[in-house]
Amino acid sequence: MTFVVTDNCIKCKYMDCVEVCPVDCFYEGENMLAIHPDECIDCGVCEPECPADAISADTEPGLESWMKLNAEYASVWPNITIKREQPADAKTFDGVANKLKQYFSANPGQGD
Amino acid sequence: MIAAAGRLDDVSEDGIRRLVDAFYVKVRADPELAPIFAHTIPGDWQPHLTKMYAFWSSVMLTTGRYKGNPVAKHLIIPGMKPQLFERWLALFEATCREQFDNATSEAFRIKAERIAESLKLALFYRPDRPWPPEPTP
Repeated sequence: MTFVVTDNCIKCKYMDCVEVCPVDCFYEGENMLAIHPDECIDCGVCEPECPADAISADTEPGLESWMKLNAEYASVWPNITIKREQPADAKTFDGVANKLKQYFSANPGQGD
Repeated sequence: MIAAAGRLDDVSEDGIRRLVDAFYVKVRADPELAPIFAHTIPGDWQPHLTKMYAFWSSVMLTTGRYKGNPVAKHLIIPGMKPQLFERWLALFEATCREQFDNATSEAFRIKAERIAESLKLALFYRPDRPWPPEPTP
């Protein structure tokens, strides 16, 4: 069991989660974060920290594709443990539907 | 705050220290767990205790004080068995109930069980074997 980052992180990327994660299991893409499923210990600390409500327990239904996406990109994106300033337009994208299709970037972020 | 019978009714850094100290006294006296811990922590226990204060502070108070990789740490401990997690949880829960009121110890228990399950999966889950694993002798 682990937590997964979902659609609403895309282009919001607030990064509050990375500061509180005890096990440094967040990885940074250009416009989204991913949780490494082999490193997450399911403590749940990150979930309420996300201003965009983008983090869910993988026990919730319908998250299979997000579990796959998190696992795939967490293994190639750089680790991030220190929060930076969120994107200037984060608020504009908070709550926009189906961001994966329109905006997701597979490119790595800058990491720590 | 201290409730009736000296049990704390909220989570604080002080309470976490009390819990961790009391818990590891039990662990070090436990026939199942003591040898595993003694092998991994042969000398001074204070660095481990300090790390555990930080861990539980991160988990219960969201302080981000602990930074580490507990999965990797557990993977290299010799003699790990799934049922050791059950023993660990039983002692932890008992200590929580001694130190904290019911609601607070329940909050600790829920976190501890989730983390234990997650570590157990990381250590023992294999796609070709049944889960939960059969107890090993």
